[in-house]
Amino acid sequence: MATQVSLYLAGDRFLYRLNPVTKLVVVGCVIMLTFLAPGSWTPWLMFTLLGLLALSNNLARPFFRSLWRIIAPLALFLFVIHGLFSPDGQTILLTVGPLALKQEGLAFAWLMTGRILSVTGVSLLLVFTTPPAALMLALAQHGVPTALTYIMGTTLQIIPQMRARAAAIIAAQQARGLETTGSLPQRVRALRPLITPLVLSSLVDVEERAIALEARAFRANRPKTSLTDLPDPPGERLLRWLGFGLTLLIIGAGWQL
Amino acid sequence: MSFNERLKKDFSTITLALIPVAIVLNIVVGQITSALKLPIFLDSIGTVLVGVLAGPWAGLVTGLLTNIIWGMITSPVAAAFAPVAGAIGLVAGLCAQSGLFSNWWKALISGVLIGVAASIVAVPIRVYMFGGITGSGADFITAYLLATGRDLFGSVIITVLTSNLPDKVVTALVAWGIIKALPQRFVVSFPRAEATLAAK
Repeated sequence: MATQVSLYLAGDRFLYRLNPVTKLVVVGCVIMLTFLAPGSWTPWLMFTLLGLLALSNNLARPFFRSLWRIIAPLALFLFVIHGLFSPDGQTILLTVGPLALKQEGLAFAWLMTGRILSVTGVSLLLVFTTPPAALMLALAQHGVPTALTYIMGTTLQIIPQMRARAAAIIAAQQARGLETTGSLPQRVRALRPLITPLVLSSLVDVEERAIALEARAFRANRPKTSLTDLPDPPGERLLRWLGFGLTLLIIGAGWQL
Repeated sequence: MSFNERLKKDFSTITLALIPVAIVLNIVVGQITSALKLPIFLDSIGTVLVGVLAGPWAGLVTGLLTNIIWGMITSPVAAAFAPVAGAIGLVAGLCAQSGLFSNWWKALISGVLIGVAASIVAVPIRVYMFGGITGSGADFITAYLLATGRDLFGSVIITVLTSNLPDKVVTALVAWGIIKALPQRFVVSFPRAEATLAAK
C-alpha cells in the first residue's frame, strides 16, 4: 500500500496530534458557525483564523494553493453573476453598457465566498493533517460500524489499482485503433469499449473479496484489534464538548444582538 | 421481514465487497468521461449498479460515501453533494424493486426519475451553500436565466435539471446494459437478485 491517494501531508505540529474525532467536531462547529451565526463578516473572520491555524502548522502553502484552485472559479462567477444579475439588486454602483453592477449582489457574493472559504478551509485542514487510516480507526473507536470503516479503507486502497487498470485499458484500446479525440459521436462511441472492460473486470474481484472476508470471520460481532494505537485523552474529550457548547452559545448570542 | 432484518440482508458480505469497487468505478469512469470531454459526467454508474443489485439502502450508502471520499482525495466541495449521490442510489434501488430495470425503455424511465430526484436534492444545496454557482459552464445558463428576470431558485432548478437529466438517463441505460451482460451466477449472489433477474 505505497501510493497515497488522499490529500494527507506528513507533519508533526499541533493539529497532527489531535484525535481525528476532535478535528471532526471542529469541522462541524465551523460549519455551524459559518451558516448559523449572523453577520456577513463572520465567515471571513473564521477564514482568517483558519489561515493562521494553517500557518502555525506549516500548511500555509498547500492550504492557500488548494483553496485558490478550488474556490477561485466559484468566487469569480459568484461576484460577476450575482453582481450583474442578482434579482435583489437595487443599488447600482457602476454601469458598463447594458450591464449594471449592483451592491446587494456583490454583498451576497461576498457572504457566500466567505462561507465557502471557511467551510472548505476547515475541511482541508482536517484532510491535510489526518491520515485516512487514523480517521477510520477513530471512527471505529467511537462506534461507527466496522462495515463502514472497511468500505472507506478498502476504497482508498484500491483507487491506485483501478486507475492503473483504466490506463492499461485505454492504452490497449487505442493500440487497436480506438478514436478518443475528434467529433462528439466519435468520442461517445469510445465510451463503451473503455468502460465495459473496466467494469466487468472489476466486478470479477468482488466475489473473491467476499470469500476472503468471510474466511476471516469479518461479520462476527467481536471487537477487532488494531495494530496502531490512537489515544483519545480525556482533555480532548472535554474540549470537544466545550467547543460544541461554545459554538451554540456564540450562535445564540449572535441572534440575540 | 422487519427493517433491521432487511438491512442485515442487504448489507451481506458480498455487498460490502461490491461497494468499494462501485465507489472507485464512480470516480474512475467519471475521470474517463471528463478526459473524453463529453458533456455528461457518468460519475454515478457504480452507485446505480449497487442500488439495483443490492437494494436502495446499499445504493444510498454507496452514493454518500463516494462523495465523502471524493472530498478526501480531491476537493471538499464534492462532500457537500453527498446527499445528491445518496438520493441517486436510493431511487435507483427503488426503481429496480418496482421492476423498472427490466428492459431498456423502463431503464430510461428510471433514469428520468433518478435525474429528477438528484435535482430536487441538489438545488437547495446549490442555492444555500454556493449561491447557485458551480464554477463551471452551467453558470452561463444560470446567468442568462437570472438576467431574464427569474429568481435564483427557479434559475438553478432549470440549470440543474438540464445538466442532470441527460446524464442520469445515460447512466441508467449504461447500468442496465452492464447488468444484462453480467453472468447470472454473479447476479444471483446479491440480496436483491429477484429484481435484477427480471432483466435477463
